Amino acid sequence: MNGHFIQHQGGSSVLARWDARLRLVALLLLAFAFSAVTQLRTVPVMLAVTALFWGLSGLPFAYLLRRLRYPSLLVLCMAVGWLLAGGKTVWYQFGPITISREGVHAALLLMARFYCILTLAIAFLAVSPLLTIIDAMRALGIPFIMVDMALLMVRYLEVLKEDIHNMNVSMRLRGFRNKAWSLQTIKTKSWLAGSLLLRSYDRAEGIYKAMRLRGYGRQVKREKPAPSTIDWGGLVGSMAVVVAVFWLG
Amino acid sequence: MHVPDGILPLPFTVAGYAVSAAAAAFCIWKIKQRGDPREHIPKAALLAAAFFSASLIQIPIPPASVHLVLSGLLGAVLGYFAFPAILVALFFQAVMFGHGGLTTLGVNGIIIGLPSLLSAMIFHMQARSANPSKGRTALFGFSAGAIATAVSVALFILFLYYTIPPHLDATVERSAIITLGLLHIPVIVVEGIVTALVVMFLRQTRPQLLAGL
Repeated sequence: MNGHFIQHQGGSSVLARWDARLRLVALLLLAFAFSAVTQLRTVPVMLAVTALFWGLSGLPFAYLLRRLRYPSLLVLCMAVGWLLAGGKTVWYQFGPITISREGVHAALLLMARFYCILTLAIAFLAVSPLLTIIDAMRALGIPFIMVDMALLMVRYLEVLKEDIHNMNVSMRLRGFRNKAWSLQTIKTKSWLAGSLLLRSYDRAEGIYKAMRLRGYGRQVKREKPAPSTIDWGGLVGSMAVVVAVFWLG
Repeated sequence: MHVPDGILPLPFTVAGYAVSAAAAAFCIWKIKQRGDPREHIPKAALLAAAFFSASLIQIPIPPASVHLVLSGLLGAVLGYFAFPAILVALFFQAVMFGHGGLTTLGVNGIIIGLPSLLSAMIFHMQARSANPSKGRTALFGFSAGAIATAVSVALFILFLYYTIPPHLDATVERSAIITLGLLHIPVIVVEGIVTALVVMFLRQTRPQLLAGL
């Protein structure tokens, strides 16, 4: 799972050594501060902070470009929509297409906010295994029901994806073809989903028994090492950036 | 139907987190009322993971293919576990695929999670009769799937519609958003049909799955 979706890279970078709990808090504070930006003058600050954290993550730039490819589609469509929406100060008009100062302003802000938040999220999260992030969420007080579900989902998502791939291959080998507007196709796909649910349900019974045998549910107190002064310093620094971003607007 | 980061203003995203946190707390409280929830966690997690994987199944609806959301089915099978499971899945989608966002996690939880709880209520109304007929199960399955998706689409459209920056001439933008909503009508119908078919399949093979966790 970690190898496929979140590529845990940059393991020895400055960001990777930062305490995962404080790193998560800093990420959320920075993301919310960036989402509140409404002035173009704040964009260079956002870009500089994002570039700094990306550098500290030690992740390759090609990895960022690969991760941005898919989520960019929707946001670029929206940015074009806002760009062409028109406003009071018209800069350029060609037939029905109007480009206004307000449209350019809104589209630039949208893209800056989106790319900075997403880049920060990748930089902060991809430097640790997903299990470390989930463990940090537990330490931050996320209810055990959600944390345990997250851990099991992480563990079994790859297995289920493999299941669904194998089931799809079997269907195709038996002559199934994806036809548009075909009730038979919808029926077959629904049974595929139903079979996947059944397999998961049956697998869960065994997993629960195995977990109980290994002591699941017993109270085990695990002492987490306290964050160091440098870790706290990182959080304080991030909070200073948050205050500055809110002040600039 | 996932709102990405950077689109919604801060008050919306903060309020989204507050509403989602309250809904998750309510669901967890209801789950804990039924005794030790640990017995059901593996089932809920694996079923949620199965939904997550099944949502990658593509149904061809020309000119494109659509991915299923299955939030109605998730509500029907998982009951109160559905909302926390959806929040977890949305977090994974945001960090793994950049689908959705971190600041919009709460808003996306409202868009997909609350209709899922609604569909749970709708579907479990059919359990009031001692031995529901096939047709009744299929009808409630269709309603749960279609209504959950329709409400999700409506909420998604509402969020986008009312958060267009005020200084823009929003006429074109609003028309595009409404068109986007109308384009989802076939998806709503397909979600309803798929939910009804899966529910019928489970009724025949493992009816205890439909009793909810």
